[in-house]
Amino acid sequence: MGNLVVKTLSATSQNLGDMVTEFLPRLLAMLVIVAIGGVVAWILKIVVRRVLTLVKFNQLIETTGFTQLAARAALPTPSELLSRLIFWVVWVSFMLFGLNALGVAALEEEIGRFFLLLPQIFVAIIILVVGALAANFFGRSALLGAVNANYPSPRLLSSLVRFLIIALAIMMALERIGLGHGVVLIAFGAVMLALALAFGLGGRDAARRLLEKTLFEDRKEDGGDDDTISHL
Amino acid sequence: MLEAAVGAQHAVSFKRTTMAQDTFLRGADPLWYKDAILYEVHVRTFKDSNADGIGDFRGLVEKLDYVADLGVNTLWLLPFYPSPLKDDGYDISDYTNVHPSYGTMDDFKLFLDESHRRGMRVLTELVLNHTSDQHPWFQEARKSPDNPWRDWYVWSDTPERYQEARIIFTDTEQSNWAWDPVSKSYYWHRFFSHQPDLNYDNPAVREEIWKVMKFWLDAGVDAFRLDAVPYLVEREGTNCENLPETHEVLRTLRRRLDESYPGRFFLAEANQWPSDVRAYFGQGDECHVAFHFPLMPRMFMAVRLEDRKPVIEILEKTPQIPENCQWATFLRNHDELTLEMVTDEERDYLYDEYARDKTMRLNVGIRRRLAPLMDDDRRRVELMNGLLLSLPGSPVLYYGDEIGMGDNVYLGDRKGVRTPMQWTGGWNAGFSNADPEMLCLPLISNPIYGFQAVNVESQKRSAHSLLSWMKQILRVRKSTRVFSRGTLEFLTPTNHRVLAYLRELGEERVLVVNNLSSSAQAVELDLSRFRGRIPIEMFGGNLFPRINDRLYLLTLGPYQFYWFKLRRF
Amino acid sequence: MAEETFLSDEFVRELGAVGEVDILVGIPTYNNRLTVERVVQAVQIGLVKYFPRERTVVINPDAGSRDGTPEIVKSASVQDFRSVLAANPLRTTHTLTTRVHPTRGEGGALRLILAAADLLRAKACTVISPESASITPEWIEAILRPIYRERYDFLAPVYQRHKFDALLVKNILSPLIHSTYGANLEEPAGTEFGFSGALACDLLAQDVWREDFMRYGWGVWMTTAALAGSYRSCQSFLGPKVHSGKQAEQNLAGAIQQVVGALFYSLEAHQNFWMSRTEPVALPLFGFKSELDLGPVRVNRKRLFEMFRTGVEELSTILSQILSAPVLQQIREVALGQENTCHFSDELWAKTIYEFAVSYHRAVMNRDHLLQALTPIYRGRVCSYLLENHGARVAELHKRLEVLHQQFERLKLDFIQNWSAKT
Repeated sequence: MGNLVVKTLSATSQNLGDMVTEFLPRLLAMLVIVAIGGVVAWILKIVVRRVLTLVKFNQLIETTGFTQLAARAALPTPSELLSRLIFWVVWVSFMLFGLNALGVAALEEEIGRFFLLLPQIFVAIIILVVGALAANFFGRSALLGAVNANYPSPRLLSSLVRFLIIALAIMMALERIGLGHGVVLIAFGAVMLALALAFGLGGRDAARRLLEKTLFEDRKEDGGDDDTISHL
Repeated sequence: MLEAAVGAQHAVSFKRTTMAQDTFLRGADPLWYKDAILYEVHVRTFKDSNADGIGDFRGLVEKLDYVADLGVNTLWLLPFYPSPLKDDGYDISDYTNVHPSYGTMDDFKLFLDESHRRGMRVLTELVLNHTSDQHPWFQEARKSPDNPWRDWYVWSDTPERYQEARIIFTDTEQSNWAWDPVSKSYYWHRFFSHQPDLNYDNPAVREEIWKVMKFWLDAGVDAFRLDAVPYLVEREGTNCENLPETHEVLRTLRRRLDESYPGRFFLAEANQWPSDVRAYFGQGDECHVAFHFPLMPRMFMAVRLEDRKPVIEILEKTPQIPENCQWATFLRNHDELTLEMVTDEERDYLYDEYARDKTMRLNVGIRRRLAPLMDDDRRRVELMNGLLLSLPGSPVLYYGDEIGMGDNVYLGDRKGVRTPMQWTGGWNAGFSNADPEMLCLPLISNPIYGFQAVNVESQKRSAHSLLSWMKQILRVRKSTRVFSRGTLEFLTPTNHRVLAYLRELGEERVLVVNNLSSSAQAVELDLSRFRGRIPIEMFGGNLFPRINDRLYLLTLGPYQFYWFKLRRF
Repeated sequence: MAEETFLSDEFVRELGAVGEVDILVGIPTYNNRLTVERVVQAVQIGLVKYFPRERTVVINPDAGSRDGTPEIVKSASVQDFRSVLAANPLRTTHTLTTRVHPTRGEGGALRLILAAADLLRAKACTVISPESASITPEWIEAILRPIYRERYDFLAPVYQRHKFDALLVKNILSPLIHSTYGANLEEPAGTEFGFSGALACDLLAQDVWREDFMRYGWGVWMTTAALAGSYRSCQSFLGPKVHSGKQAEQNLAGAIQQVVGALFYSLEAHQNFWMSRTEPVALPLFGFKSELDLGPVRVNRKRLFEMFRTGVEELSTILSQILSAPVLQQIREVALGQENTCHFSDELWAKTIYEFAVSYHRAVMNRDHLLQALTPIYRGRVCSYLLENHGARVAELHKRLEVLHQQFERLKLDFIQNWSAKT
């Protein structure tokens, strides 16, 4: 009996040893890949940062209002953000490649699916960012328009616009990753967006007059029909 | 000796005449004056044959070949009658004779015959409004209020009568009445004070004038220019111009003319607006031809403004005239370029543009010749002649303008445009063999217009001289009757610098396009109703692209003009 | 690929037919049926009366009127000049109407007029508003004579107005242009201007035709461009200015966006000029300016103040990005005060405007938003201005405005420093 135990043990340890021997190089390979990935990603980050500074990326982004947004969220500057983002994306990709090299089948499938999903995730992130920017911009337009046209509760209006646009953006992002209901959501979102834009752009005649007629009939134009001076 | 020379010249140089000229000559066409191309010439300054410094009829006969060669068919002579010459012959002291400086009656008759033989008619002046104060009639009339000739002129004890009549020679006269110290009363004169007006209310005057006409008609004269014809009769409370009584006088004269001398014509000199001149045609029973005075300054204006508006306006305002009547058109003549028939703004503009130097201005007009007015720009001179010869009417060419003679504004009155004809670059420009100091008027002798530079002899030798060009354009003009007898219709392309019009007679159509500006122009004409016709340029005979439905594009160089025959094939 | 063309074939053909001109009058229209006929006739009479020998043309770019305005322009010709003047036109007159496409950008009509002036080699040009119901033929002489006969390149109008009119111009445009460009213009945003052919060619070459402010702010742009190019400029008194009946386009925020936007844009474009300029620009005034105290005007001051206060409150986040903390604080204090003691000092106002200009230059936010945010503050200033000058005569108002201009001048150096500072 003792022999059997020893034999089993030795067989098992032999298997283990084989597995380890099989596994170890792969592990090593993975570590090497990860290490290389880290270096490559780091180099890439420096390069991208240099290029963006040269191209004055920050100035370009400033006009979209992203910088303000980022500042408020205590994020670093756009060029820094982008370079860091690239760093992480590249390194994570290398890590995943490394995992792939491990040869664990189950993981492989998941990794494969992850890589397929990657572009969608990217797009979803972009949609969210654009949505946030648009919400900011049109929210502000709505605020200014309402204030200058003497509408009641301008801030409420502005928040409403902002909310609608962000909601739409989220829905679109989710749909990208496969968690939304596609067409219907898009249509609904589009209608919401159109309304929000109409409000937000404020001075556009049609929407304004419609508003005036339906909701604010007793409110006069900011110049006032009974005012007889002309500012220009 | 002279006759032989003349005869020899005549035999050698008699040219082949065109169809139109044949009809013209034989007088078979009672409306021959519609095809007349007149050449206005002054015997006094054309050619001197006897070396006394003054031109004469024999000299004129010597040069008839030149005139015939030019291409004109009617000669208009300025007054050559006995006269003290204080108004260059328009102050007449004997109606039925020839001024001795110019020759004898026989010389005149020789001239008439020689002209007719070369196919040219002769038009003389009938200055019927006034005589010289040296005329025997006036010498008698002024002797006393009871003199039988008294009533031949218009007398008054006060200068207050006929207040509304304007003064014509504004630069020299202050009143239309002049004081006669002999008979101690005032006499009426619309022109110079030494030219008393005849009294047309007196039947004796009218009869005498007819006798004068008969005299010349019998001699062989073909037509009369009735000088200063609006002023014949005066009536209180009027401006004494264009009165119905005046027209009656003319109608009577016309009737008598038609009865006894068919085929002759009257040319009225009436410096009035077109509607007033229209009256001088009557119902075709007064004058046959009348000068179109208002058109002339507007041609000068259009070329300066580079805008066709003045020409179109005045021609559209010109009324229709009877079938047997004709306008006489001209660029310049022996008088100043009159600016009476333009508005004040237009006059100011023309003065500023053409007569900046006030010496050039006289009596509401400009006393300059054509070439100096055009700044000696050959192209502009050609354009003006092109307009003259393509617009409706019988054109009048002033002697010397066919070679581009200059003027002398420092000679008094209008003498500056009446200087001797420049035949050669030699002795006295070939005008006379007399001493230069004896010449009746000094020659133009500056380097630009002087006789050394501008003369017939040198221009005859060049195929590209103005003289040669004038001969060419007259040939083209006479090749068709459309110009002299056709209708006029203006085209109005959007480019206002282009004056374009159509002349039509029967089946013939001629398109005239003139560029009034000093720069090249493009113009698009609407010729769609002539679709299918081929324009043939009349000077070179070349075909231009066929007319289709689209706008017809033409490009013209500075001051260029085209005459196109539109032929159907 | 073919180049973009903004002149239609038909229009180019008509231009060719007109040929070279001495004087060009541009009348840009859009639904001006009620007033345009009189304007066109006044222009025609003015040209015949004062420039009888000159070659002239009237150009009418129409932005798609639907009320028959272009037809009225074409047929509005004076038939009988003799009933109006003792003169008849010597030359053929031309009136060209053409359609301007809105897709060609906001400045389409003006650009077309400038292009016509270039192609026709016009010596003197003017743009006349089809809404100027108070126009007389004398305006033509007043605008064009200095350009055509005395060789000025640019002419700005001066109108006879109510003392409380054009407050936007008096409080923002004039003082700012005076302190930066050095020229004391009464009407930098007028509706009539005169300019020489040389200036027209220069303006045509600039690339502003798609900018939004070119719709109504082109006057300001033209003025500043002429000053920045050191063109010989002057002003000329025309006559009374009557308000047009069209209020549709006159919402205040839009107006500020247009004219102040145009001015700030110009400041950026011309910074090399005004930052180094030291000498004032001479601006002779032609014509006999009449000063009448025209009747009272109606203004709802209370409402103005309320909108000022609400505006400052609601927009505080936005304003804090544009203005410095001390200035914003001072404005808040004014807004929190009483309406009938509201006092927006010249100094505070000048600082405000300068800070807006700097923020615009740095593009701290979308520029349209920035300009819109100025509107409620302007209201506060108007309120204060009306209150203080309630019973003032015209002469006193002149003095007050001079003081305002001096304030702007005083703070100019700070402004230049802030402008040039790197963030």
